[in-house]
Amino acid sequence: MEGAAAVSEKAGRGMTVQMLSTKAEQAILASFEANAATLPGGAAVAALRRAAIGAFASKGLPSRRVEEFKYTDLKANVKDVLPLATGGGTSDAATALGAHFGPDFAANAVVFADGRGVAAKAGVTFLADALGKAPDWVSAALADAELSASSDLLLNTALFTDGAVLDIAAGAEVAEPIVIAATAKDGAMTALRHVIRVGAGAKATIVEIERAPKGSGVRQSSALTQIMIADGAEVVHIKLVETQKGSLHLSHWQANLGANVSYKPFQMTVGEGFVRNGLNVLFNGQHSTFDYGAASVGHGTGHADSSLIVDHKVPHCTSRELFKTVLDGQARAVFQGRVIVRPNAQKTDGKQMAQALMLSPDAEFDSKPELEIYADDVVCGHGSTAAEIDPDLVFYCTSRGIPTAVARGMLIESFIGEAIDKVEHEGLREALGEIARDSLTA
Amino acid sequence: MLEIKNLHVKLADEDKVILKGLTLSVPKGEVHAIMGPNGSGKSTLAYVLAGREGYEVTDGDILWNGESIIEMEPDERAAKGVFLAFQYPMEIPGVAGLTFLRTATNAVRKKRELPEMTTPEFMKFVKEKAAKLNIDFEMLKRPVNVGFSGGEKKRSEILQMAMLEPTLCVLDETDSGLDIDALKVVSDGVNALRGPDRAMLVITHYQRLLNHIVPDKVHVLADGRIQKTGGKELALELEKSGYAEFTGKAA
Repeated sequence: MEGAAAVSEKAGRGMTVQMLSTKAEQAILASFEANAATLPGGAAVAALRRAAIGAFASKGLPSRRVEEFKYTDLKANVKDVLPLATGGGTSDAATALGAHFGPDFAANAVVFADGRGVAAKAGVTFLADALGKAPDWVSAALADAELSASSDLLLNTALFTDGAVLDIAAGAEVAEPIVIAATAKDGAMTALRHVIRVGAGAKATIVEIERAPKGSGVRQSSALTQIMIADGAEVVHIKLVETQKGSLHLSHWQANLGANVSYKPFQMTVGEGFVRNGLNVLFNGQHSTFDYGAASVGHGTGHADSSLIVDHKVPHCTSRELFKTVLDGQARAVFQGRVIVRPNAQKTDGKQMAQALMLSPDAEFDSKPELEIYADDVVCGHGSTAAEIDPDLVFYCTSRGIPTAVARGMLIESFIGEAIDKVEHEGLREALGEIARDSLTA
Repeated sequence: MLEIKNLHVKLADEDKVILKGLTLSVPKGEVHAIMGPNGSGKSTLAYVLAGREGYEVTDGDILWNGESIIEMEPDERAAKGVFLAFQYPMEIPGVAGLTFLRTATNAVRKKRELPEMTTPEFMKFVKEKAAKLNIDFEMLKRPVNVGFSGGEKKRSEILQMAMLEPTLCVLDETDSGLDIDALKVVSDGVNALRGPDRAMLVITHYQRLLNHIVPDKVHVLADGRIQKTGGKELALELEKSGYAEFTGKAA
């Protein structure tokens, strides 16, 4: 750790640093060098990757000294780096989606296996195929300077092997959810980049699913989604990640909202792995709404971090965040909600709530609201609770003949259900509810 | 028959003794009222009958149909027919009323070795009972008691009581927070459940409720003991004279 601090300090003064302090960081550099020649993209993309790995080399993996990773110290927790998967895998949609999702979802799924697209769907292009002739908006997105801020994102830019390119035309109303499912073999790392553009007035539901079923071996994955939503569009954006012990999943969503947009992300994390769900939202147009929900169920030594940065750059926008987690064993959940209200962003209405239900004395919940308000006519609030199951409610249920275990189950489910209820699509809500229920009884 | 014998109860976490030798019997088919000043132990008695944690029975016993229930868990007592209508019914966010009722009804039926109700059977049963209590069926799709008015919560309690078909009904201050119309609906609901196989214990501070649910006997509880027992006319006397006589005796 000492070495890491020294290195980044030198790097900060503009020196080129080739040596990194941790074994994992060195392995990432080596993985890049080994794969650089075959990673998809022409000269421009190669240059982008080279710049990203250079920046990564100077920053290293984020440690707890980086505020956004205060509770999710990647430098300390990522000990080994698995070899980068660059394709060659197979999977069908039903397998990739896993239990609880019916054929309706499979029919609308684009599937990635071992880092490469294997099942296409009309309207979705594989990024690896598109790179040679990528439209300007995709090229611009890939080069977005916002993504050079954090080394977990630099890592994705350097290593991504594929991803979905989704361009929803202005005014289009996509009735069925568009599902992006990713799966991978054990013992490998994958890096996917999804680039999504939603045209003015369009309506769509986009679902990202990455599940390692019970009994899976160790996997590592990075998934970065950039979504640009034009004026008046309504987007529901859902993520489900299920990880097993020893696995690592680094996810980040970068959302740019136009005016009068409704953006409703919902993220669910279950399992025992080490998961980071970053989400940055930029309000670029007025009268837009960001309505975020998250549910996580942690067991064993599971670690689930949801860190949001909501940037109110313009007036008259609304942000809502509801984060709920149930923690058992030694599981840990992190919620960081940073809300920035720029000086001209008057009439901003921001609220956040983070709640944990603690089933074990060894579980840990770290909740950190960060409100940076530079405008004076705004309404911003935050709240956070961590509690055990209310014994009075258990008594109320048992006094009606409901056995204690059933009563506790019902109360836990209702706690997490309040977040899942934010999902309006019935089929999705039910599937997510069942997945939460199953992981609660796991 | 409910037999409470020389019941001594203290708070589990403190030295505070609340019931100090309470003895009382309620035969099947009868409705008994317990009246008493604030702090006399009325709610404690209700909770101890239902099996709430936090109370310790240091002496005495509670027999229901000849069987001691003090070691039983609340759900076992419910299966044996014990039902407590709460003074302050609890709100359960996220659990729909119908789900709660169905889970409870079938849990109790299962323990009573009755077949579980199918969905259509259950729906028919609940609709019937809800209509009698003027409960809007749509209300039952909402989370249990969340956002309900005082009157709605009490009607919801009586609906649960009607659904679970208990044989020992304990009503704790069921009249509190009710306006006169709601009081009538709730009382009619309770009276409809009166029957030869059912014993009822109606706990109240005021006589008002007993105009609607007319008791066979009235007991005065003060300082943790039954101080006086009489007919329904005792309630009217208390309304005039207050509890001073008994609290004086207690002091």
